[in-house]
Formats: sequence, C-alpha cells, structure tokens
Amino acid sequence: MKDIITIFSLCIITMTGLAQSNISGRVTDSRGEPVIGANIFIVDSYDGTSSDVQGFFSFSTSEQGSLALRITYIGYETYEMPIELPSEAVVLDITLTEKVNRLDAVVISAGLFTAGEESSREVLKSLDIVTTAGATADISGALNTLPGTQIVGETGRLFVRGGEGNETKTFIDGIEVLNPYSSSAPNTPGRGRFSPFMFRGTSFSTGGYSAEYGQALSSALVLNSKDVPDETRTDISLMTVGADVSHTREMKEGAFAGKLQYTNLTPYFKAVDQNLDWDRAPQSIEGNFMLRKALNDMHELKMYSNFSWSDFVVYQPRIIYTSAKDKMDLTNNYQYINTSLRSIINDQWSVFSGISYTKSNERTHVNDEKYQEREEGIHLKTVIADDVSDELSLQFGGEHFIRDYSYENIVQPDEELGIDLGLTALFAEMDLYTSNRFVTRAGIRGEYNWMQDMFYVVPRLSIAYKTGENSQMSVAYGQFNQTGRNDLVRIKNSLEDERADHYIINYQREENGRTFRVEAYYKNYDNLIKFSQSYNPDSYTNNGDGYARGIDVFWRDNKTLKGVDYWLSYSYLDTERDYHNFPYQAAPTFASEHNFSAVFKYFINALKTQLGGTYSYASGRPFNNPNLELFNSEKTADYHDLSLNASYLLKSNVIIHGSVTNVFGFDNIFGFESSNEPNENGEFILRPVKQAAPRFIFLGVFITLSKDKSVNQLPTL
Amino acid sequence: MRTIVLIATMLFAAHLSQAAPSKYEEVMKENIEKLYESRTIEEYQTVINKFDRIAAKETDKWGPLYYAGFGYIMMATNADEVSMKDKYLDLALERINAGKAIAPKESEIIALEGFVHMIRVTVDPATRGAQYSGLSMQAFSKALEINPDNPRALYLMGQMEFGTAKFFGADTSEACTKIQAAVSKFDVYTPDSPLAPAWGKGGAIAASEMCK
Repeated sequence: MKDIITIFSLCIITMTGLAQSNISGRVTDSRGEPVIGANIFIVDSYDGTSSDVQGFFSFSTSEQGSLALRITYIGYETYEMPIELPSEAVVLDITLTEKVNRLDAVVISAGLFTAGEESSREVLKSLDIVTTAGATADISGALNTLPGTQIVGETGRLFVRGGEGNETKTFIDGIEVLNPYSSSAPNTPGRGRFSPFMFRGTSFSTGGYSAEYGQALSSALVLNSKDVPDETRTDISLMTVGADVSHTREMKEGAFAGKLQYTNLTPYFKAVDQNLDWDRAPQSIEGNFMLRKALNDMHELKMYSNFSWSDFVVYQPRIIYTSAKDKMDLTNNYQYINTSLRSIINDQWSVFSGISYTKSNERTHVNDEKYQEREEGIHLKTVIADDVSDELSLQFGGEHFIRDYSYENIVQPDEELGIDLGLTALFAEMDLYTSNRFVTRAGIRGEYNWMQDMFYVVPRLSIAYKTGENSQMSVAYGQFNQTGRNDLVRIKNSLEDERADHYIINYQREENGRTFRVEAYYKNYDNLIKFSQSYNPDSYTNNGDGYARGIDVFWRDNKTLKGVDYWLSYSYLDTERDYHNFPYQAAPTFASEHNFSAVFKYFINALKTQLGGTYSYASGRPFNNPNLELFNSEKTADYHDLSLNASYLLKSNVIIHGSVTNVFGFDNIFGFESSNEPNENGEFILRPVKQAAPRFIFLGVFITLSKDKSVNQLPTL
Repeated sequence: MRTIVLIATMLFAAHLSQAAPSKYEEVMKENIEKLYESRTIEEYQTVINKFDRIAAKETDKWGPLYYAGFGYIMMATNADEVSMKDKYLDLALERINAGKAIAPKESEIIALEGFVHMIRVTVDPATRGAQYSGLSMQAFSKALEINPDNPRALYLMGQMEFGTAKFFGADTSEACTKIQAAVSKFDVYTPDSPLAPAWGKGGAIAASEMCK
C-alpha cells in the first residue's frame, strides 16, 4: 500500500510539480513603441503567448532545461535568447529590430509613375491605360493625362517637362525601341506601335531615372511584357476602322500570343468629314507576336516581335498659293524583335540579357520628289543584379548600340545623308536601405560614342524618406545625355550629345484609395544643337542651352464616390531654350504653361456599363510670327477637349465599346506654320495647324472565345 | 503487490504513449475553437501565434499551418487597407505553402490556397480578376479532383463563379447549382478527424440564400 501511495504521489509530483516558471515582460520596437501581437514562446514546446496592446506578455511553462526563448513578429528580425528553466519569475525587456522588407519599405518615387497589377501601391493600374477616355487605347494617350506632360496634339508623342518628343525613350523589357510611333501625315498624331494589352506593367519616368537607362534626355517609358501564362483564348475585334484577331495559347512552361490587325480609315473618312484632303486614307497591317517559355527553374526566355506596314496619300495646300496642293504619298515598313533571357542563379544573383533589332523603312513621295529614310538598330544589353542583403542590392551591366540611319533623295542619290553610330555603355547602381524608411539609390553611367569619339560619364542619385505610414518624400538628381535628332545629326555627324541636369523634389501621400502627389523640378539644358542654315553643316554647333522648371500635382480618388474613380493632373511649366534656329532664348512652340487633365471612370453595375470621360486643357502655345520683331512672341488660344467613352457588356464574352474625342468639336489650333517667303505685299502668311477632324468617333465589338465563357476583353479595353 | 506495480506501470506507460498526441489534439481543438470564435484582428493574431508555435514543434503536421493560414485569410477579410489585406494574404500563402510541402495531396490545403487567390480578386476585381480568378479556379478544381466530397472546395468554387457572373452581369444558375450541391455535401460531411476543417457551412447556406 505504501508503494502505491509512493507511486501515486510520484505521479502527482511529475504531473503538477514540473516546476512552473513564469516568464513575462514587454516587447517594444527600436523607437520604444509597443509591439502588439508578437509571438513569444519556448522553442520546441507549445508554451508561449502573444503580446498585448501595450506590448506586455506573461505566461507559465513547465518545460525544463537549457532552452531557447523566441520572439517573432511580422516585419521584425526574429529574436532568440537562451533560457534556463525552471527559474524564478523571469522578467524581460525585449527590443525587436525592424527587418528591411522591400515590399513595405519606402520606394523611389521622384519622377516616377508606375502602372501594374502586382503592388497595391501603383499610382495607375495597367487597366487604366486602356480605359481612359480620349486615349483611344494608346499608351502615350493615357500617359498624357498624367502631370509632367504637355499636350502637343499634332504629334501624339510624349513631351515631358519642357523636353521635345524625341527626348522620351521607349524600352520594352529594358531594351530600346527605335521609332515607337507609327508614321502619320504632317501635323496629325501618330499612334504608339505597341498595343497596351501585350504589357503587364508600365513605368513612366518624367525625370531622374536610373543609370540603367541612357540616351534619353527627359523621360523613360519602360514597358514590361506579360509573363504570367494566360489561358488559351481567341479574341476577335470588329471596329469602324478595321478588324483584328488575336490568339493566346498556353503551352508547356510558357505561352504564345499573336495578334494580327488590319486598319483602313477609308470608310470612316467617307462617313465623317475630315479637315484634310485625303487621296488614300491611312491603312495598315500590323502583327504582334509574343513568346515566353521557362527553359527550366532558372532560365526564362521571352520574345516579342512587332511588324507593320502602313500607307496613305494626302494633299496639302500650299501656304501662299492655296490653290496649289502638294501630294504626299508615304509608305512605312517596320520590324521590331526583342529577345531576352532572365536567369535566376540563386537567391542573391540574377542575370538578364537581351537583344533587340529594329528596322524602319519609310518612302515618301512629295509630288515627283522621292525620299527614303531608313533606320536599323541593334541593342545588346546585360544586367547583373546582386542582392547582397535585405539592406543592399547592386546592379551593374553593359550595353552596346549600333544604329545605321540614312536619308536619301532618290532623284539625287549622291546626296545621301546618314548616321553610323556605335555606342558602348557601362552602368552600376546601388540601392541602400538604411531602414524601411530611408533608401538611397546611387548610380553612375559611362558611355563611349564611337562616332563622335566622345566619352560621357553621368551620375544619378535618388533618396526617398518615409515621413509617415502613408507618406514619403523623395529627391532626385541626375545628369542625362542623348545624341541629337536624326534629322540634325545626319547633317553633321560630329555633333556632341545634348545634355540635361534634373533636380526633383517629390512628396506623395497614399491612403485608402486616395493618392496625392506634388513634385517640383528644375532642368538645365546644355549642349543643345544650334544652326543658322539648316543645310549647311558648318553652321551646326552644340552652343544651345535652356532650362525648364515647374510643378506637377496629381490627385486620384476611387473611394469618395461609390463606383467612381477619377484623377486630376495639373502641370505648371516655365521653359525657354536657345536651340535649332532660334535667334535667342525663347519658349519653344510645344511648351504650354498650364496643362490640366481630369479623368473619370464610372462603372454602372445595373447597366453593365463603364462610362469614362476625360477633360484636357492646355494654355496657349507660343508661335513665331515672322512679321513681328520678337521671336516666338505670340500665343495660340487655349486648348480644350472633352472625350467620352462607354463599354457595354452585351454577354459575358461580348463587349461593345464606343468612344468620341472632342465631343463639343472645339476648333483647337496647335500652332501656326508660316510661308517660307513673304507674299507680294512683303508679308509672311501664317496658316493655323488644326486638328485633322473636329472629332474622332470609334465603335467596336470585342468577342472572346475561350473555355471559360466569362473571360472577355474588358481588361484590355 | 506486483500486480499493482504492473498496473501502475501500465497506466503510466499508457499515459506516456497517449500524452504526446493527446496534448497536440487537445491544444489544437481548443485553439481551433478559439479561431472560429475570433472576430478582431488582435484575436486572430493571438490564435495564429499559437498555431505558429504548434507548427514550429510539430514539423510533420499540416494542421497548424492550415489553421494559421485560414486565420490570416480571415484577418485579410477584416482589414481595411488594401496593402494590409495583401500582406495578410502573403502570410497566409506562406503557411499554406509550408503545409503543402508536408501534405502535397491534401484537398483542404489546396482549397485554402484557392481561397487566398479568391480574396485577392475581391480586393480589386477589375484589375486582378484576369490573373487571380484563373488561379483560384484551378486550385478549387484540383482540390475537388483529389477529394470530390470536399464541401469547402465546392462551396468556394460556386462562390467564385457567382461573383464572376455577378461582376459581368452573367447568368448565376451554374454557380448556384454548385453552391446548392455544396450545402447538401456539408449536411452529409463527416470529418475524418476531430481536427479536420469544419468551417464553411454557414457561408454556403448564406450564399444559397442569395441564389433564391
């Protein structure tokens, strides 16, 4: 009996008397703020607890021995300490250090707008590009509603912060694209060649961009092609301007997508009056192909290709003798192919290599004169990324450009003008996160231009600081250089690169579906190309200069009004430059002082319809009146445009989309062309540059065929 | 005397052999109950922490990871900010992937993965629908392939189809058939262990009400 008692009491002792130890304390972060909900536990046991709203915790354990106490919390480094148990009441004061988490950390935002799906922080979504009224599904059209851009309606290009259209460079997956806009009649807007639906994300930088991107004086537009395999589907579009068919096929470890499009504006121009006298309305055939394939776990191959053929014939009245008309017949052939390989070596190292080839051939007949403009370009690039630690990452690489350009008048083939450019560049950049609140990006880029025999070294620097949970400030500085425009450098190959310095300060606040952003900048232009006689190489110099300064404001809100998403952009620009044939520093003709856009989108669930509207305003643009003493001293009237669009979901896979630009038919004047010579009264005649038509009306039916019947083209409209 | 010692030893041995699993089961049961009762982010975090502690010890069991993942999904649905929702869903996916590594053929875990993608869609259907609705439907189909009787996978699939149809203004009858079938499956569903997932019936019934 005694034995039984002993056994029982032993049992009781082992069960209850496993010496309970009490562990308590407080968990705080480096700023002394309590950490709420931290997990505090004895490793390899169930014993532990969570910290309360004041960061306090307390628990008992019956564990014994030399153990470890671990404290974990999302976004903080795991804390571990040895603990001897059982023990007297343990009271601990624990400070957790914040882990640098790239997803939560501050991001470089000076000068940058990104659109994509991955991050909830994007200012714009990919979808926004295609649903913006007035943009007619053109990437630059949609980006033109962002601050920092100027409305230059007769070109369709992106003019950024006092920069010319060619100062914005387009890159696909980091690789350069030459001639990214389709050819168009003089003073009518060209469209971007690349369909927004082929891209997953867009990053549009209005200044201060990374050392990875060179040969762009004002802006870098980086398009990232899709890499998530879509499901197999076929899309058919029937439009008032033509038709297209596209097919996406999922294949083993990848996908293939192709799109063929034919457009012909003849029927539309017959139905709707045009201001221009078209002999043959623009028509084009365009193909887009895309392939992505994971070769194995480490390597992914991507190919993107675009080809197009376009053609039109238009009559243009002369300025003085308006009864005489010049006949212009233009045909353009374009091919672009881009191949890249991305290899993830391990958690730390990755390598990206790509090559692109562009070929553009444009034949123009003006009356009996024949001109041919050809450009071929190759771009090779390799980027190596080294994520040294959570705090530090390095990126470096090299690239080589070959560009062969020629311009000839077929009547006088001896007078061929051309550019034969070779350019080798190296760049290195470092991202250093001092904490989740502070990041510095410093980079340097060196370029050797074989044609000019010139070496350029340009530094870039961006710093961003998180001022609060939802707000941050960034500053950026950078030097930029770019070889001048083809039509100038072809006259004199030895012209040096044009240069610009950017200084940017930015404040951004994002909260609950609302974004506010304000950015001020100063740009200094130097080495701009100047000439006094356009055909005389000896008159060409790099003696031009200029400046641009301004403020950009952006506000976006998709919370306040239910179902309504809207954004407002305002840009103030003050710029002058002395370049080309300017007699002295003056505001260039593309620079309007005030630009404003309001974009709104409203989804009416009951009607299965999305409505969109865009109002754009630009203050008057300078133009030169040769009859006056002062250069570029006059201004056009203000520009106004209200565009509307609507998409109606007829069936789950059929969408009807309609859009109208310039609903009120404002007779906008972009500028004035003047006659080369004075008329009989000794006066130069000015002719306004107007819109090609008061408005553009578009109607289309978009049909999607796939296994899952609910898939449609809504995300791409 | 010897018999008593023997009995006592046997009892002790029985106790020992029982101790490990029963403690796991006991703690899990208690915590699963707490999880179902949780309403606030703080409550969920406390329960998830406990599951994380269990998971850290029981490295061969998918259960604690499953429930930690489920807890984070619930936190995501409770959070206001989109960035917080995404963060919780990332944490849920982390737990789910760890669970999948232990039990790659577990229908319940795969269904839960589909649930994560589904919640991502609800955050911003217009932008994310194209990418995540496909992923979630794939996961639900796979879960049903492994276990056609998994009522949760069927219910979530029906719910997803219902939401998609509603978004595009299409016919919801196909989705409703699935939800109805899920309700009947919940009625006859017998969990194979006391720790098996038991949630979803209320939601399925509520969804079937919307179909009427």
